[in-house]
Amino acid sequence: MIDYEYKKPKSLDEVFTLMKAYGSASRVIAGGTDLMVTMRRARKSPGVLISLRGLEDLKYIRKDDAYHVGALATHRMLECSSLVRDELTALQEGAAKVGSVQIRNVATVGGNICNAAPSADTAGPLLALDAIVVLRGPEGERHIPLAEFFKGPGKTVRQRDEVLIELEIPLEMGGYGSSYWKHSRREAMNLPLVGIAAALHLTAEGLIDDARIALTVAAPTPVRALKAEEFLKGKTPERDVLVEAGKIASSPECCSPRDSLRCDAWYREEIIRVYVARMLALAVERAGNGGSST
Amino acid sequence: MSEYLYVGRNIPRTIEADKVTGKAVYIDDFKRPGMLHGKILYSRYAHAKIVHVDASRARALPGVKAVLTGVDIPDVRVGFIRDQRVLKRDKVRQFRDEVAAVAATSPEIATEALGLIDVEYEELPAVFDPFEAMKRDAPLIHDVDARGKPIRSNVLPLPWRFKEGDIDGARETSAYVTKERVSTTWVNQCCMGTSGCVAEFDSNKNLTLWNQTNVIFGDKGRISEYFQRIGLGGKKIRIINPIVGGSFGTKLDTDIYEFICIQLALATGKPVKIQFTREEEFIALPPRQPAVFDIEQGCDRDGRLTFRKVEAVLDNGAYTSWGATTPSVMMMPMSSLYRVPNVSFEATCVYTNNIYCQAMRGYGNPQASFAVETSMDSLAEAAGIDPGEFRMINRNLPGEITPMRLKITSCGLKECIESVRSKLDWKNRHGRHNGRGVGMASLIHVAGGARVYKSDGHGIMVKVDEEGCVDVLESGTDQGQGSPTVISQMAAEALGLHAKDVRVIFGDTALSLWDAGTHASRHTFMAGKAALIACADAKRQMLEIAVEQIPKLVNRRFKSQKRKDPSFVPPDLDWSLVADPEAMDIRGGVIFPKSRPDHPIFRIDARDVLKAGLHVGTGESRVVMAEAFYDPPTEMLDREMKGNLSCSYAFGTTGAEVEVDRETGRVKIVNLVAAHDVGRAMNPCLLLGQVYGAVYTGVGYALTEEIKTVKGRVVNGNFRDYQILTAMDEFPIEPVIVETDDEAGPFGAKGVGEPGLVPTAPAIANAIYDAIGVRIRDLPITPEKVLAAMKEKDAC
Amino acid sequence: MNTISVSFMLNGEPVVAEAPETWTLLKVLREYFELTGAKEGCGVGECGACTVIVDGEAVNACLYPFPEVEGKTVLTVEGLAGRESLHPLQTAFLEHNGVQCGFCTSGMIMSAKALLDKVKKPSEEEIRKAIAGNICRCTGYVQIVESIKAAAEALDD
Repeated sequence: MIDYEYKKPKSLDEVFTLMKAYGSASRVIAGGTDLMVTMRRARKSPGVLISLRGLEDLKYIRKDDAYHVGALATHRMLECSSLVRDELTALQEGAAKVGSVQIRNVATVGGNICNAAPSADTAGPLLALDAIVVLRGPEGERHIPLAEFFKGPGKTVRQRDEVLIELEIPLEMGGYGSSYWKHSRREAMNLPLVGIAAALHLTAEGLIDDARIALTVAAPTPVRALKAEEFLKGKTPERDVLVEAGKIASSPECCSPRDSLRCDAWYREEIIRVYVARMLALAVERAGNGGSST
Repeated sequence: MSEYLYVGRNIPRTIEADKVTGKAVYIDDFKRPGMLHGKILYSRYAHAKIVHVDASRARALPGVKAVLTGVDIPDVRVGFIRDQRVLKRDKVRQFRDEVAAVAATSPEIATEALGLIDVEYEELPAVFDPFEAMKRDAPLIHDVDARGKPIRSNVLPLPWRFKEGDIDGARETSAYVTKERVSTTWVNQCCMGTSGCVAEFDSNKNLTLWNQTNVIFGDKGRISEYFQRIGLGGKKIRIINPIVGGSFGTKLDTDIYEFICIQLALATGKPVKIQFTREEEFIALPPRQPAVFDIEQGCDRDGRLTFRKVEAVLDNGAYTSWGATTPSVMMMPMSSLYRVPNVSFEATCVYTNNIYCQAMRGYGNPQASFAVETSMDSLAEAAGIDPGEFRMINRNLPGEITPMRLKITSCGLKECIESVRSKLDWKNRHGRHNGRGVGMASLIHVAGGARVYKSDGHGIMVKVDEEGCVDVLESGTDQGQGSPTVISQMAAEALGLHAKDVRVIFGDTALSLWDAGTHASRHTFMAGKAALIACADAKRQMLEIAVEQIPKLVNRRFKSQKRKDPSFVPPDLDWSLVADPEAMDIRGGVIFPKSRPDHPIFRIDARDVLKAGLHVGTGESRVVMAEAFYDPPTEMLDREMKGNLSCSYAFGTTGAEVEVDRETGRVKIVNLVAAHDVGRAMNPCLLLGQVYGAVYTGVGYALTEEIKTVKGRVVNGNFRDYQILTAMDEFPIEPVIVETDDEAGPFGAKGVGEPGLVPTAPAIANAIYDAIGVRIRDLPITPEKVLAAMKEKDAC
Repeated sequence: MNTISVSFMLNGEPVVAEAPETWTLLKVLREYFELTGAKEGCGVGECGACTVIVDGEAVNACLYPFPEVEGKTVLTVEGLAGRESLHPLQTAFLEHNGVQCGFCTSGMIMSAKALLDKVKKPSEEEIRKAIAGNICRCTGYVQIVESIKAAAEALDD
């Protein structure tokens, strides 16, 4: 039976007070596009929903000493931000491909990350862009690299009384060329069968001096294809090199896609192999433009 | 077509404005005072004994007004071969078996009550493959038939056997023979409005059922027959359609939820609504019939078809609905798509513990055409003949009689094939095998009614009031195809009045004569034929009134003119011009003498004539009302499955150009041409809408849609995992309308609702073969299948 | 289950709705206000039949918690037509056959409205993206796109 009280705190402090008062009977809700569905399907709900939607000051995209994306920034904000599109292209592409305009208008990037679905479309790009998760609790703040944030499907290191308030991306990532490929059977309204995010930095001579490849739906949590990244360092970004990186990225050394009702493992591996190479090529192009996608 | 005022014109759907303002009432929006909400409890197993059902906790929940289980309602079997009870007793045979039902004051309480019904099952071995189910030692799905006779096999005793000519002899003389297995799976109709109905009994136990059925009289007949067996014999039944949120074949049978709704209404004495959620629509609604075809074809040295032999196995699921009758429609392309003198087709339907099936747009034709057109391409290749040329050689011709005894009247297949070849630049683009390829496939479908029942009749009543406003009381139903507009065009044309003054009332058994059903793409044809007869009669009545009233109207006018101007002298008139109804006509709302259409005095607004005819004050008032029941001059299929069941046949060819990504197997449609012989387009804009919609559904059928099951359980029952195409999955579509002006059709028209879908999948499959040399014979053609096939080919 | 009172703007008028706090905006519109244009096609944000516009953005009303609509501005298909005439989008859908069964139409029109309010002359790609979250089975989307293009022209005049 779905029965809950819906609280609309106006500040983080109020959120913490409510969390403390209701404890495990409560759950935080942001855009709600995941939780409303989960509750409907399970026909169950927590006793109290604590809405974060009133926290307008967590809804921002800024660049100063780093890129700061407020947890309540919607996917639509990321999609339409020229800053994100130009400098953190993979993130714009990931956000832009989630669901539909209607979903993107309310679904938040914080919610997407906290939900920790292996398929989250912003997770791969954020991972490739070295994002740091900023958690705030009643005791203070923690900064956790995204790579250490996911523990398993649906599980993160966030404590029950913490709120994800921001995703921070190091300033230098703006100089990387990046790209994101969401592989699905149709062009909209899908979860990815596989997600591939790539970010590259080139030297002045055009060699790869840093590479990031993040894969989603290829392991229990979003992962970096570290062996493939290592392989790329110092190399010329030619087709053969990128194709080889794709092979490594799709190997058991880097990922472990499974069979699921949506897709077989062998096909996921093929897509990873093919699209890592293709996304690297796109990232190279964009890196050549100084990190811009335009 | 300047001879017509309305036929052939793009009259917009202004009459349906309620759909764009939120006012249209669908079953979802429909309410009755005191209405309760019904919910159904489905089985937890694919095959199990029902050991015990305890509904006591559910009954105790506040707000619950009735809980019914199998033992609470009469033990009556329903369905095409009466193999299913409304609420299951003894055994469940599929995951969606209805075990109990609740009526409560809100859907939420009803749903909660379902969770309080305790059902104890004893699981039984299950079978999910029709080939396995055919084996001797397979678990038996049904023990007895409708008459109580024991059943010993899962194979249904259905008569789907067709034979014409000598297959073995033809095979001997063939220069080329190909044989292959082709298969299709379940897909969901995906009506945006889910299934639902509202049942209400009056104080005399007469039933009104608001539902979305396309066969209002068929539904009424089945419910009436059910009433006979549950002690309500003789009670009246009225079926009324609200606005329908799509049909695509889902509304041709009387579904179990309708019977359940009726039983809940009976039990509570209140109106009850059952409305499927989307999950239920995927899990509990019978989908399109899957089939496995073993098809063999041969041709002579010149490429002329010599024989076609097909054996089909159909997974019938747990019970029987229209899915089991799809072979009767499959016979049409099997025997009559292209000219083939020797044909044999045999279909075996087998019970399994899977979901059972019903009709879906095309009704077996898409499945069968996928087999025939895949085989045509294989055979063309074996014979070394271009596939387009091969089809041209064997194309159907106007006037021919096919092995199934179908009498082809008009046939625009030649124009359709040519148009595809030219628009796809076939000569230059076929045979490159470089990752891009073209393919085509054709169709034949009934277009002038379809005698699947003893009567293929369609009744219509037309009344014209004294304001010149026309009400057409139609016995068909509106599923969104544009019937209100098209029928108003045909009626207005036939009556000579204004289309904007014509209103069509659909879908109410109390307000119309009988109709076999809005299926088989027959609505425009049947309504048009019936309307022509009724409107001719109504027109004659109007002209009889004209003959009586025009002299009086004219003289009254002259008198009034004389009063104003005493010097006025009435002109000499030839009154014989308006003395005979046969010598007069109506057009654009004006009555006039045929021989002098511009006569300055005798051209009179029909409204003035009709008003005068009503308000005579002498006891001789006339109203205008006509009816017609058109039952076409066609035949039912005889014991040999032969007979001309339709007045005319639709033909068409779809051509596709595709590009295949060799690394991923993804297929991109670069161009799709859909050429259709429609007889005559009543309303080209609405017709195109039918074609676009059908093509899109066909592309989904070809490439992305499938209901996935794991041991009988539907596992992708939602729009996220079931891959119906979105607006971003576009591809260029070029529709081509070929008009052959069929002699049988109203204004030359043929049906077009289904044809758009039929040849889409094989056209795409054939194009993929042309592009990369792999042939996928199993729908949907997913990238995985393509990639795996390419790897296998490269490995050889 | 508490009943709460929420004030907001609905189709240009200030309103107050009293309904259970667990209701969605869709349920409030359909049952409290009896505005049945927005439909439940799936109830989980996967079909768009319930699309309405809140504070200028197209959203799935089936996922929108009722308490969140406090102080917001909501526009539904019932709020589009003027007193004397239909909105150009509504007229265009009728004239260009963008409507067949009509079940997806309310949501489709609202997604289009949200787009046209922001982009006067959208490209075909922009139109398709705006309605990507609105599933239609009848039309194949072609005439829907044509209708929206025609409406954009009409609004631009």
